Order: sequence, then C-alpha cells, then structure tokens
Amino acid sequence: MLADSAQTISTPSIAYHALLPIFIVLGAALLGVLVEAVVPRPQRFNTQVFVTLAGLIAALVTVAVLHGTHVATPSPVGTDSPFAGSLAIDGTGLFLQGTILALAIMAALLIAERSVDVGSAIVASAASVVGSPTDREHSRTQRVQTEVFPLMLFAVSGMLVFPVSNNLLLMFVALEVLSLPLYLMAGLARRRRLLSQEAALKYFLLGAFASAFFLYGLALLYGYANSVDLSAIFTATKTSTKSDLLLYLGLALLLVGLLFKASIAPFHAWTPDVYQGAPTPVSAFMASCTKVASFGAILRVLYVAFAGTNWNWRPIIWAVAIASMVVGAIFGLTQTDIKRILAYSSIAHAGFILVGLVVISQDASASVMFYVLTYGFTTLAAFGLLTLVRDADGEATHLSQWSGIARKSPMVAGLMTLLLLSMAGIPLTAGFTGKFFVFKAAWHSAGPLVVMALLFSAVAAFYYLRIVVMMYFADPPENAPTVAIPGWTSSVALTVGAVVTVLLGVFPQPIIDLATKAAGSLIG
Amino acid sequence: MLNAHGIESFAWLLIAVPLASSGLLLIGGNRLNKWGHWLGALVPVALFGYVIALFFAVKGESNRHVDLDMFTWIPVAGFHVEAGLLLDPLAITFALLITGVGSLIHIYAVGYLDHDPGRRRFFGYFNFFVAAMLLLVLADSYLVLYVGWECVGLASYLLISYYFNRNTAATAGNKAFYANRVGDVGLSIAIMLMFAYFGTTSFSGVFAHFGASGNAGKGVAAAIAIMLLIGACSKSGQVPLQAWLPDAMEGPTPVSALIHAATMVTAGVYLIARSAVIFEASQAARTLVVIVGAVTLLYGCISAFGQDDLKKVLAYSTVSQIGYMFLAVGLGKGVFAIGIIHLLGHGFFKAALFLSAGAVMHAMNDRIDMRRFGGLWRVMPVTFGVFVCGWLAIIGIPPFTGFFTKDKIIEAAFDKGGTSGWILGLAALIGAGLTAAYMTRALVMTFLGKRRWEDDVHPHEAPTVMTVPMGVLGVMSLIGGYLLIFGGGVQHWLTPSVGPSVEEGVHTISPVVLSVITIVVVLLGIGGAWVAYGVRPVPATRPEAVSPITVAARKNLYGDAFNEAVLMRPGQWLTRALVFFDNRGVDGAVNGAAAGFGGGSGRLRRIQTGFVRSYALSMLGGSVAVIAVLLAVRFQ
Amino acid sequence: MSNAHNVALPILLAIPLVGSLVVFALREAQAKLAKQLTLLISLIVLVYTAVVGFSFDTSAHADRFQFMGSWTWIKAFGVHLAFGVDGIAMVLVGLSVVLVPTVILASWNSFDSKSGAEEETSPSGRQRSTKNFMGLILLLEFFMIGVFVAMDVFLFYVFFEAMLVPMYFIIGSFGGPRRQYAAVKFFLYSLVGGLVMLASVIGLYVSTGSRTFAITDLIGQVPDNATQKWLFIGFFIAFAIKAPLVPVHTWLPDAGAEAPAGGAALLVGVLDKVGTFGFLRYCLPLFPDASRWAAPLVLILSVIGVLYAAFLAIGQRDMKRLVSYTSVAHFGFIGLGIFAFTTQGNSGAVLYMVNHGLSTGAVFIVVGLLIARGKSRNVADYGGAAKVTPLLAGLFLFAGLSALALPGLSTFVSEFLVLVGTFTRYKALAIFAATGIVLAAIYVLYLYQRVFQGTVNEKVTKFRDLNVREVFAVAPLLALIVFLGIYPKPVLNVINPAVKATLSDVHKTDPAPELGPVAGGQR
Repeated sequence: MLADSAQTISTPSIAYHALLPIFIVLGAALLGVLVEAVVPRPQRFNTQVFVTLAGLIAALVTVAVLHGTHVATPSPVGTDSPFAGSLAIDGTGLFLQGTILALAIMAALLIAERSVDVGSAIVASAASVVGSPTDREHSRTQRVQTEVFPLMLFAVSGMLVFPVSNNLLLMFVALEVLSLPLYLMAGLARRRRLLSQEAALKYFLLGAFASAFFLYGLALLYGYANSVDLSAIFTATKTSTKSDLLLYLGLALLLVGLLFKASIAPFHAWTPDVYQGAPTPVSAFMASCTKVASFGAILRVLYVAFAGTNWNWRPIIWAVAIASMVVGAIFGLTQTDIKRILAYSSIAHAGFILVGLVVISQDASASVMFYVLTYGFTTLAAFGLLTLVRDADGEATHLSQWSGIARKSPMVAGLMTLLLLSMAGIPLTAGFTGKFFVFKAAWHSAGPLVVMALLFSAVAAFYYLRIVVMMYFADPPENAPTVAIPGWTSSVALTVGAVVTVLLGVFPQPIIDLATKAAGSLIG
Repeated sequence: MLNAHGIESFAWLLIAVPLASSGLLLIGGNRLNKWGHWLGALVPVALFGYVIALFFAVKGESNRHVDLDMFTWIPVAGFHVEAGLLLDPLAITFALLITGVGSLIHIYAVGYLDHDPGRRRFFGYFNFFVAAMLLLVLADSYLVLYVGWECVGLASYLLISYYFNRNTAATAGNKAFYANRVGDVGLSIAIMLMFAYFGTTSFSGVFAHFGASGNAGKGVAAAIAIMLLIGACSKSGQVPLQAWLPDAMEGPTPVSALIHAATMVTAGVYLIARSAVIFEASQAARTLVVIVGAVTLLYGCISAFGQDDLKKVLAYSTVSQIGYMFLAVGLGKGVFAIGIIHLLGHGFFKAALFLSAGAVMHAMNDRIDMRRFGGLWRVMPVTFGVFVCGWLAIIGIPPFTGFFTKDKIIEAAFDKGGTSGWILGLAALIGAGLTAAYMTRALVMTFLGKRRWEDDVHPHEAPTVMTVPMGVLGVMSLIGGYLLIFGGGVQHWLTPSVGPSVEEGVHTISPVVLSVITIVVVLLGIGGAWVAYGVRPVPATRPEAVSPITVAARKNLYGDAFNEAVLMRPGQWLTRALVFFDNRGVDGAVNGAAAGFGGGSGRLRRIQTGFVRSYALSMLGGSVAVIAVLLAVRFQ
Repeated sequence: MSNAHNVALPILLAIPLVGSLVVFALREAQAKLAKQLTLLISLIVLVYTAVVGFSFDTSAHADRFQFMGSWTWIKAFGVHLAFGVDGIAMVLVGLSVVLVPTVILASWNSFDSKSGAEEETSPSGRQRSTKNFMGLILLLEFFMIGVFVAMDVFLFYVFFEAMLVPMYFIIGSFGGPRRQYAAVKFFLYSLVGGLVMLASVIGLYVSTGSRTFAITDLIGQVPDNATQKWLFIGFFIAFAIKAPLVPVHTWLPDAGAEAPAGGAALLVGVLDKVGTFGFLRYCLPLFPDASRWAAPLVLILSVIGVLYAAFLAIGQRDMKRLVSYTSVAHFGFIGLGIFAFTTQGNSGAVLYMVNHGLSTGAVFIVVGLLIARGKSRNVADYGGAAKVTPLLAGLFLFAGLSALALPGLSTFVSEFLVLVGTFTRYKALAIFAATGIVLAAIYVLYLYQRVFQGTVNEKVTKFRDLNVREVFAVAPLLALIVFLGIYPKPVLNVINPAVKATLSDVHKTDPAPELGPVAGGQR
C-alpha cells in the first residue's frame, strides 16, 4: 500500500541547448581551476589565457547560433507560457549575453597583457604581505596570480545568468556568483596593492550590504505573491488582494540591490574607489560587463514583473536617473585622476541609460540594450588605453601626467580623443547614436528628463574635454610618463573598441535592428 | 525725360575715366612716379572738354532731362534700383564747375606737390574724388547719389589725412568722416522714407509724388526734407555739424581749394536744390534751412576773426559763404537759382583765394601764421594780385562777382517779407559787413604792412605751373559774376531743374537802395579792419589780453568744446562702461555659471570620504528615500 | 522625400573629405607637399562648386531645392543622407569654398618654425604641425559644405556638431596664448546650444509623427501650439549662440582673438553663418508661427547687438577681439533682416552673410598678416605703419571700408537692403540700427588711425611689406567685394527665389508703399 501512496515527482524538462553558453563558460572556469592545479607555472599563464578565450569565444558562438530561440526553462509541467520557468532564454537575454561575452573577451585580452608591465597588471602572489620581502621579490618576477582567469570566468557565468533569470531566487544566486569573484579580482593589482586591497574590501562590504537589501526585498515580494517567479509576481500585481505595501517595499529594496550593481546614485559611492583601486583591466571588466548584466536584470525585473505597476515606480527611476546624472557630471568636474573621471562618467552614463527605463516599450528596451553595448565597448577601450601610459610606479593616471601626450604618441591621444568624444555624445560616434536612441524613445513620456539629460551631458562633456585639452594643448611635464607599446592582446582589444565606437556611430543600422528585434521578447 | 543718345550716351565715361586713372595711379606703383601726376592732371581737363560738349548737346534737347540708363543695380522684389545718370541743367552746371575748376587746381597741384614723394598717391585720391563728385551730381536716383555722396566723403578723408604721419592730420580726417557719417544716417533715413512711402528712390519716381499732381502730404515732405537737411549740413559744414570743416585744412592746399571750398562742401546745396520740389512742399523744412543758413553765415564770419591761420580764415569764410547759399535755397521758390549762382561764383573766388594762400605757404615753407607774414606783396606780386581779385569778389565790391551774387541773396532775404524777412535780411547784411572786415584783415596781415617773417624763410613767387591757374581763377572771380548773372542766362538754363526764378516780385526795399546800403556796410567793414590792422602794427605773437568776444571767436564760439563735452567724452565714458559690463557682467555670468559647477563639485566631492561606513550610510539613506518615494506615490 | 539620386553634391563633399584624409596621412616632413596638395584640392573644390553653381536654375519655375540626392542612412530613425541646395545654401557654399583657398594662402608659413618672421603670436618653442593644420582646414571645409547642403535635420545636426571638432583643434593647437580657455569655451558654448537643439530635433521627429527627418516633408507639418514654440526655442538657442546674438556672444571675442588668423577668418566668416542660415532654413520654414511669435524679441536683441557690440569694438585694445566684436554687430544686422520678414530684409540678410564672410575674412587675414609682423595683437604696439608698409595699409583700409559698408562695396548693398527691409515694417528699429553706421566708421577708422597713422612707432620700422603670395591671399576677396558692390545682380538672382519661398513658408508678404503710384511717376 505504500506503493499506492507513493507520489511520483515529475522532473521538469530542461532545454539544455539554450543553457549551453552558460555551461560552456562554467566548464571553462572549472577547467581553469584544474589548470592551476596541474599545469606547471611557466606554461600556466598562456594556458589560462587560451582556456579563457576559447571558452568565451565558444560561448559567444553558441549564443550567435541560438539567436531567435525563445524558451523559458526549466518549464514546470503543464505550463507552456514563455514566462513561466526560472530561466528565460529569449531575444533580450541572448542579446545581453552576447554583449557580455564580447566585452568579456576584450577584458580577458586586456588582462592577458604582459608586455607593458613586468608579469602583467595582476599581482604576483596575492597572499604575500604587502611590502614584505617575498612580495618585493615576487613583484620583480614574471610570476602572476593566474587564478584571475577562472575567477573572471565564474563572474562571467554569473553575469550570463543574471539578465536571463526569470526567478528572483535564481537572480540572487547569479548576483552572488558574479559578485564574489569580482570582489577578489578587485584586490589583485600588482602596483599600489594596499589601495587595491582596500578597494576589494570596500566593494565586498558594500556589496554584501546591497545583497542583503536584495534578499529582503525578495522575501517581501514572496510574501506578497507567494512566488519568486517574475511572471507570478506580475499576475499577483493584477489579481492579488493583499495590501500592496509588501509589494512596494519589496520592489524598493529589490531595486536598491540592482541599482547598486549598476552603480547608480545614491548607491554609487563604491564606484570611484573600486575602479581606481582595482587593476585597470579588471576595472574595465567591471565597468563594461557588470553594467550590461545589471541593466539587463533591471530591465527584466521591471518589464516582466512590474510592467503593470510602472506608474508607481516610474518616479523612482526619474529620481535616481537625475541623481546619477548630477553626481556623475558634477563630482567628475574636479577629479584629477583619469580612472576616477571614468568612474564618474560611468555613473553619469548610468543616469542617461535610466532615461530609457522610464517607458515600457520595445523601442525603449532596445535603446537601453544598444546604449549599454556602445558604452561597454567605449569605456573598455578607454580603460585599456590607461594601461599604456606609465611611469616608474606603474600607470600614470593623473591628469597632469597626460599633458602633451599627443606629441609623444599621437596614436594614443587620437584613440583617447575618439573614445572621449563618443562618451561626450558627439555625432558620428557610437555614444551619440546611443544617446539619440534612448532619448528618442523616452521623449514622449519624459521630455523634461531628456532635456535634463542633455544639459548634464553638456556638463559632463567638460571633463572629457579637459583630458583632450591636456593631451593636445598643454606642454608635457618634467619626467613625462612613457607610452608603452601594447602586445597583440590589448592591441586587438583597443582596435575592436575603437572600430566599434566608430562603426556604431556611422552605420548603426544592423545592431539597432538586432536590438529592436531582440527587445520584442519582453513585450508580453 | 528722354533717353541719352549720341554723345550723351558716353556720360558714364565721366565716372569711369577718373576712376580708372585713380586705380591705375594707386595700384601702379612707383614706376608711375615719373608721369603719373600729369596723367592725373590731364584727366579732368579732358573731362571738362567733354562736359562742354555735353552742355551744348543737352542745351539742344527739347526738354532738358536726359536719362542714361546703365544697368540694373539692385533687383529685389519691391526694391528695384537702376544705376542711371541724369543729365539735366543742374547736373551739367555742377559737372562744369567740378571739371573746370578741378582742372585748374589739378594743374596747380602738379607744381604745389613738386617735392612731395607721395604725389602719385595724391593724384590717385584726387582723381577718385572727381569720379565720386561727378557720380554724386549725375546720379538719377537718391541711392546712386548716396554712393557718390559717401565716396566724396572718403576722398575728403583720404586727402585730409594725406600727411598721415601728422597726428593732427589723421585726427582731422577721422573727424571729417565721422561728421559725414552722421549726415549719412540722415540721408539714408530719408531714402528709406522714400521707399517706404513711394516704393522707389529714383528722382523722377519720388518727385512725381510732389507738386501739383502729387499725393505726398506735408508730414512726409517735412520728414524727408529734414532728414535730407541733416545730410546736407554735415557735408557742407553747416551748424551744428560744422566743426570738421576748419580742421579739414590739414590737407594739402589744393585739396582745401577744390574739395573744401569749391565743390564737395557745396554738395549740400546741390542736394537741397535737387530736392527743390520736396522742400517747396514743406514750409517747416524751408524755415529750418534758412535758420541754419543765417546762423551759420554769422557763425562763420565771427569765428573767422579769431583765426591767425590764413587757411582757417578762409575755411570759416567758406562756412559762412555756404551759409549764404543755404539761406538762398531755403528761401525756396525762385531763389534756388541764385543760390546756385553764388555757389558757382564762390567756386571761382574761393578757389582763387585758397590757391594764393597755398602759394604763400609754398613760399614760406609751409608756415601759415598770418602774424608771421606781412609785406609779402613786394616779393610775390602775382599771388598778391590773385588774392586781391578774390578779395574784391568775396566782399562784393561792384562790379565784381560777389556784388551780383551775394546782393541778390540779401535782397531775396528781405523780400521774404515779414519779421522773418527782416531778421534774415539783416543777418545777411551784417554778414556782408563782417566778411569784408575779416577778409581785409587777412589781406592786410598777409600782404601789407612790414615783414614779420623770420630770416630762415626766403619768400619767392610761385612757379608758372601754379601761377597760371591762379591767374585764370583770379580773372574768373572778377568777371565771373557778370557771365553768371548776365541776362539771367543761368536762371533760365536752370529752370528745368529747380523751377523758374521770380523775376520782379514785390520788394521790401528797392534793389538800388539795398545795393547802396550793402556797399556802405561793406566799406565800413573794410575801414574798420584797416584801422585795426592796417594802421596799427600787428603783434607777431597773438595778444592774450583780449575781449571775451575775441576769445570766443578764437575758440570758434566753443563749437569744438561743445562737441567734446556733449559727444566725445560721454561716448568714451559709455564705451568704457560697456566694455566693463560685457567682460564682468555678460561674460562674467557665463564664467560664473561654470565656476559655480566647479565650486559645487569641489564642495560635494567631500561627501566622497573614502570611509565605508559613510558609504553604507548614504546607501541606507538612499534606500529610505526610494521607499519613501514609492510609498508616497502609491498612497498619496 | 524625393528619391532623387543626384550625386553632384555628394561628390562636392567627397573631395575635401578624401583630401583631408590624404593630407593627414602625410608625414610631418612633407609639410611643403601638404600645403601644395591642400591648396590644389581647395582650388578643385572651388572650380567644381563654380560649375555646379552656374548650373543652378534661377528661372521662375525652377525648383526651390536643386541637385537633390537622397539615400537611406539609419532606417530605424528614418534618417537619410539627403543633400540639396536652395539659393541661400548655394551662395553660402560658394562663400565657404572661396574663403578656404585664401585662408590656406594666408597661413602658408604661419606655422613653419623655420620662418620665424611669419610666426603668429604664440608661446615660443611650440612645434606646430603645418600638415595637421592643412588637414583640419580641409576637414572643416567638408563639414562646412555638409552643413549647408544637408536636407535632413538629423544629418544637419550631425554636421552642425561635428564641425566643432576640427575648429576646436584649430583654435586649441594653433591659437594664441589663451587658446586652451578659448577652445574649451567655444566648444562648450556651442555644445550646450547643440544639445538643446538635439532635444528639439528629437521632439520634431516625435511630434510631427511623420517618422522622417527630411526637411521637405517636415515643412508646414509642425502643428501651431505650445510644442512648436518649445521646438523653435530649442533650435533658436543653438543658432543664436552660433550666430552669435547678444547676449550669448561672449565666446566669439575669445575664440576669434585666440584662433590663428586663418582659423578666425573661417570661424567668423563661415561657421557663424550656420547660425543665421539655421534661422532661415529651419526656424522660419519649420516653425512659422513660433517665428512670428518670437520676432519682436529677436529684432530688439538684434538692434541691441548692432549698437552694443559696436561700442565694445570701439573700446577694444586687442585687434582681433575688436574685429570679433564688429562681427557681432554685423550679425545684429543679419538677424534684423531675417526677422523683419520682408523680401528686402531677407535677401539683404543672405547677401549680408556672403559679404560679411568676404569682408571679415579679408579683415582677419590682413590683421593676421600685420600681427605676424608685429608679434602683438595690442593696438598700442603699432602706429604710423602706413609709412613702412603702404601696401598692407592700403589693403587693411580697403578691408576696413568694406566692414563699415562703404557705398559702392558689396557690404553696402546688403546693409542697406536690410535697413530698408526693416524700415518698411519697423521704422524705429531701422532708425536705431542706422545710427550703427556712425559707430562702424568710428571703430574701423579709429583702429586704422592708431595702427597705420600718426607718429611712427619704432616697433614697426622693421616691418616688411606684403609679398606677392600675401597680396594674392586677400586681393581676390577685395575684388569680389568691389564686383558685388557694383553688380550684385547675379547673386541676388540666386537668392531671391529661395527668400520668396521662405517668406511664404512663414506666411508673410511685403508691406506695399504707403502712398500708391501717381500718374506720371516712372518706376
């Protein structure tokens, strides 16, 4: 009789093919760990680089192959709604995953750069005490803490899950998976190690703080909707009879967690310190990939779960958007360290992107995806350039050290100018197309916000110009820094970044179409 | 109005030829230094010949309005301006004066500037002036006239500041141009009024709205006429825009003779005469003109007394003589012709006087202080003779030019009748007396008495190339009046342009009596001057203890002081104030905004302490804010 | 949107663009080659433009926009690479291509470190690349032509903004002592205007619902309501800054003063025309009601500009600042002519743009030649120079006279047209503006007196007079000024139809003469 009472648990069907990119990256990461264990130190670095690039490229290819897929998996028995299921591999998701992977490849190439600094930008052995004899001795060797590559791959896998997770719990897991490696990576700088470690600690503490918010919000929402599925929450907002105090408290706390990762004011405070402290290639990785992933998540949460209540959360987006623009534009004015300037610029850009989130429409989500893509490539290349200008103790990122650089290296100055003009939103660069796309989408329902955004981009333009002025119109200082010749890896990364910045400014049509088509998947 | 044919159709050469030679002389460079001046001198002579031919051609026409249409200048919807020339008696008369007297003075200048390295440049400017002046008088529309009007201003500017390294000369040139520009504003506003009301600026088109068949009211007429008057005043050095003319004597003497005595400064009179119908339509405007004329002629006479600089004396006398002409044309119907006649006569004798003054300067190596002259008649008889001719002519001793021309104006002034008639008449009469006095003063101080010049100067008679033109002008100033007045020929000739002259109207005082009175006044003037300067010796340095009137006269009745106090200094003050305002105020606001952002940034960035605790706090605050907003929106 | 594919204008754009890339590609050592190449290219452009210009149809039945060619660019935004010119654009393109070669000639040796005698005021020892300057000039020419021939608002905006970049580098890398400040000020000032305009550009696209940026499709499409006013304001601010109209003019004196003479000539001669061109091409046709609504304010600002800037010019000690301020005054006249809404006013304004380009271009170049000798922009460092350099003095005076609109020179025709066109509708304003001609005389002749007349300053005794190349840099401009002063008809014939069309867009007709014609009155 037991047999009679025995319940059969039907296993949900999983569309493994759709998850292939994630699996590939995770696999590569695990492989990387093995490499650390078995491959002798001399070959380790190159092996790691190979594994990482191979994994990422393979994943990118699969994403390309998957394009057009639209599945939610694992789909619970009996439902075939595209929104049920904890992972939604749909147009939006794939577009964002593709973007993340492409940017990750470039970031990996930057990290793999060995010819500008002895060893690489990454610390020799993170464990050795700063300034201790071993540390000094190591730092002069080619030895490198190659764990950075698997760490990065783990982070990427998290990022890949983050924007496609259709379920808050899963989203939280993804959030942690992508965050923890980043905390570590931030601490791996070869030069100025104390600064780097401080940055890592700050990032970790604040990140944990933010995660707590996220988790709490999750709990409240569960209390409201009896489910952590975004779609379930959506239906609840329509049907539920519970006091929606829970709903809004939950949403608010959830948003805090997400906004933190996207470094949006007032949850931005960590950004400048971390970007400055972390190894520059890692900063590049964070500034581009993390932004893409977290905006993807925000997009999904707002569109899928809260589309019905957008009238209530729109003011929040307005508020934080303005806050980010103000902070990013104003604080940046008096910065003297180019890495910090780029950090504030990323805060300002987050504000501009948010403008696209005040409306729920295919156009709007497409514009947001397009913007994060253009911004990702531009900012990545900009950080990459920073690694090339060096003096005795590493990168020379102080504004004054860049003065007159154009005379020493027209190439670096020219590239930097191009990227800065793109960030300032000058036509014929990707930055302009992105801004135009977002503002056009938002104009109808948020005209004043668009005007504000434009004015603040004018303010922000000032500090981009300041760098250009320094590079071209100022005379070089005594003990002017040297400009290192990049190896093939970062050369590739920089070239791609610059080319994309120009192409998306001149012929954006294909990518715009792609984004628009992809965005369709979020409009129920 | 008939179209030009035969030789008339070449009238455009009158402007093209001198313009071309001017261009050639200015661009040609030093290789022209050898013969350039002769080219320059030859041009007006040739033109004079052509104008005479033109004169007979036009004289032969049935109606003496020959129009030469050249090309369309400005074609814009309503505003359609043809570049055309009008050959009518008034125009031809002026053309004759300009080219005739012009030729003589050009030839004279060849000698006068013999030692001047810049002679070629001088003749370039001089020919340019001839071209511009001819364009002014031949234009067939106000806008084309305006071009000539301004270009003569430019020529006068260039020639006044010909010795450009002299600060005084440069300043004088600028002063002249500024004053002319003030007049140009008037003229251009007049033209705008014409277009706004009549839709055209051509003489024929505008005049059609006046007179018998016209539809233009008094108001329009007054507005246009007064604006034209402003232009005329500035060009002719009439009060209140007279100040530039005396300073203009900084230019070489031939310039003073041709531009600032014979021709350009009379352009104002031309303008008023040309616009006769407009002025006749507005009593108010005419009154204004006569007032200007009367005031100016007295102003000129009095100021002339204060001067020890011979050319300055002549300059002020020009001012006052043109005052007479304004008075005449202001008296309106029928007196225009007399004004023109006085203008022509003045052209002769004033040119003669200036040229002889020039000869004196030439002889005294450019000293011009009359107190340093004296007894020159012995060393330069010919010059003396010419000067005497001019003297006789200007003070109006019968039977010389001034007697015929000026007396007619005095007569007309009285004939105006009423109190105003008496006032004007007396003004003119007194003016005649004063003229006689200051001219005698100049004559005596310069040529008579005992020599007062230093030993380093060796006065000598001018070369023939100078004396011949002087002689011709001297003779002309003696007999010119005859030819002009004889049988009213000129009045008839001018009738088509300025309307018929009233021959014998009612006279307030019979002409004969008036003539006698005038002559008596003139003789008194001469006598007074002789007593003052002929009998008593002239101090070589000017005495300071003098009557307030003399002081005022020396300060040209505070004309310049007025300009400085009312225009110059406030202008400078305003400029400085505005510059300050623009830098501190307008631009300050912009930079202030920028600084504001920067300062805000500097203050705000202190929030970024680098302490995790404060970051966490800010996050907490942010979250609270987010929650608050959401709930506020939800439960408002 | 007409789907014509006339390639005349794309070719015109291609020549300088390709040229600039080639010049940039050269090596520093090949400066001489770069100069010759640049000059050659600019002359080719000039000839080509002349050919196109003479085939421009001025007959009554001709199309308003000619040489139309349109290709899809960004489908998602409904953006086309659409090119075409009306009479206004045509003459302005002509102006640009005439100025460029003269600027090249005038700056021939300005940045060769070897011929120090030529070097303009600049901190010593700064190695400045002639080749880059030439490349920038050609790039700038590309953008200048583009901004005039663009027939798509988005495309226009792209050119409008991108144009800043080469000029920013011309000022910043080749300018005077305070070049950094000037360059950034210029860039930010224009950028703010541009971004405000971008808001309007997007708004235009959204509000007209006709998902296109094609001007021909947008004319008359914007509904008359608050939106139209807002959109107008957006465009207006951008153009007012560019023009520049008082009170947003303060970037010009700095930029004009610090830019190298050649750059300043292009900056004031052509770039600023984009502002006034924008009024005519965008503000009036696209937002007719708003334009009429704003006209009084603009007119008053313009008149203030005429007088205010003239006084400021009189008060300047720095020659290039002085010239810049005179331009502000002249832009007052142009604004007056445009917003008076009369054919005389508008035709005058357009002709004014051309003449001012020629005249101020000439003035800046001549001033540059003087400064190249005196190594100082301060008027006080000169005096009596006409004795040493009569040729330079003569050209300076000539250029100056064209700036004060001497009758017989082209500037007079345009200035008087503007005044008369304004007078027929706003008598008082025209009279105020007319007093500006006195001030103009003062700032020009007072400058001339202080520099070239009076006692000879020992600083100038070493000057050498102009050489043939320098004369040929300015002579063509002056020749044009004279020719257009005596015979402006050919240019006016090109301008008039476009002006007529523009005025009909804004629903305005000329006021008739207040007193009708009378019997016997000719013309």
